[in-house]
Amino acid sequence: MMMLALALLVQQPMVNEAPGIMAALTQETVEIRENFAGTSLVLYGATRGLTLRDEIVVVLRGPDQDLRVMRKRRSFGIWVNTAPVDFPTVPSYYAMASSLPIDVIASPESLTRNGIGLESLLHPQTSPDEDDPDETELENYRAAVLRAGGRDALYAETPGGVDVLDGGLFRAVLKMPPRTPVGNYTAEVYLFRDGRPVASRTTSLRVEKAGFERLVYEFAHNAPMIYGLFCVALAMLAGYLAALIFGRD
Amino acid sequence: MQIYLPIAEISVNIFLLLGLGTGVGFLSGMFGVGGGFLLTPLLFFIGIPPAVAVSSQANQIVASSASGALVHWRRQTLDPKMGTLLLVGGFAGSIVGVQIFTAMRELGQIDLIISLSYVGFLGTIGALMFIESVRSILRRNQAPERREGGVKRGKRGWIDTLPFKMRFPRSGLYISVIPPVLIGFFVGALSAIMGVGGGFVIVPAMIYILRMPTNVVVGTSLFQILFVTALTTFLQAAQNQTVDVVLAMMLTVGGVIGAQFGARAGRHVKAEELRALLAIMVVGVCIKLGLDLVVTPADMFVVLPHGGGGS
Repeated sequence: MMMLALALLVQQPMVNEAPGIMAALTQETVEIRENFAGTSLVLYGATRGLTLRDEIVVVLRGPDQDLRVMRKRRSFGIWVNTAPVDFPTVPSYYAMASSLPIDVIASPESLTRNGIGLESLLHPQTSPDEDDPDETELENYRAAVLRAGGRDALYAETPGGVDVLDGGLFRAVLKMPPRTPVGNYTAEVYLFRDGRPVASRTTSLRVEKAGFERLVYEFAHNAPMIYGLFCVALAMLAGYLAALIFGRD
Repeated sequence: MQIYLPIAEISVNIFLLLGLGTGVGFLSGMFGVGGGFLLTPLLFFIGIPPAVAVSSQANQIVASSASGALVHWRRQTLDPKMGTLLLVGGFAGSIVGVQIFTAMRELGQIDLIISLSYVGFLGTIGALMFIESVRSILRRNQAPERREGGVKRGKRGWIDTLPFKMRFPRSGLYISVIPPVLIGFFVGALSAIMGVGGGFVIVPAMIYILRMPTNVVVGTSLFQILFVTALTTFLQAAQNQTVDVVLAMMLTVGGVIGAQFGARAGRHVKAEELRALLAIMVVGVCIKLGLDLVVTPADMFVVLPHGGGGS
């Protein structure tokens, strides 16, 4: 299906056509098993009416989560978390690859308007009862979110990460770190012309625990009481066996 | 070789976990403590989320204390009556501890509470133990006959003025039930908040406050720790879903083996010197955690999951 569609797209003549883009991932699900230590995904795509002025941006976005950011302040000599600012629905994973550095492709305003880039997705909510941090302070909070995601390689930006091949085809490699969260992902591809997206396409991806990992996780969450009893019983059995094997002296 | 932990949701080196378990098991076999106070900070350090580290650690202590308590049960160096009283307090403490843990986690202050508890308790107990053991080493080197009049049947303290007295044949004691229940409560709460068995609190408490004979102290402490950590594991699993059974089992395998070697190594060292070594280790961990609280952090902001969690 996909290959056929790609072939059809590529075969069409490249003159004065309405710009179009499409993409597919090499896999539809990523399975996290007991030996999972990160992986990479390949995204293939094709464009219609690609000109020399055009650039491609690829975004892979993980499930949203609510974050709370707190500033450390010294109080009685020790560092305490204070002044919480909540960031609702922040992507837990966000990888962006582009055919040129993103600030060359489009202005920050254009990106924000189209919801591209992590900065455009961070909407701080300050608690009304406390003294609200001002705009410059909120900027520090935003930077903290980006920093934390970058540390675990959950947020990544790869300028030049999109290879434009012959005939309007392109390819991007996206890395998923060991801490990749599970859930529904979306891969978005954008065709930029003169700093504006002229075509886009979205495909989806699922990251899920599989096999033994899934079994344990579902057990712990679907039947927490029985799981707790099971953990205790298992530990007692291990202790009993240990006493049996080593305990005679 | 990496293994992905299903609840902690990170992938760690399997040999690192086994090695940590073995190392801490060695020390715990040598000193007769659970070793949680060392292992939990180490787990934080390798990137296990604190909530998961604390809960899974409790699960691992169930295994190590079960194996130890069984040995003492057979040797009859365990006072079941005293143990049960400690447990009554311990259960109540554990329930309160898990509530505090959940509330603090929601406030984003759990790391601070854990660190403060560690610094406070390790500092106090480590220092007391160090002073005591150095004194007994010095005393041993002086006159051996002076040791007789010491702790055994000394002064009658405030403990003996309390009501609800009970006889403890195995320990040879006739004391009020209030101190054991209170000590149990305290250790139960500690175990839930800090992910430790509480051996390093309960052993000195039994010796110095309850004045139990030393030969039943370790067995009785293990008995109480076994049940309190079992309850803590259950409550953490039921309420917070933070028990990682894979992590706990990895640590258990290493810990069980390490403990055997540790127990053997411990026989070659004198009791007072062992206690002094343990005290130095306890104080060391305390200083490390204490510094982390005071030293200016590299990142002035902390990002926490909020609400129902991400996944």
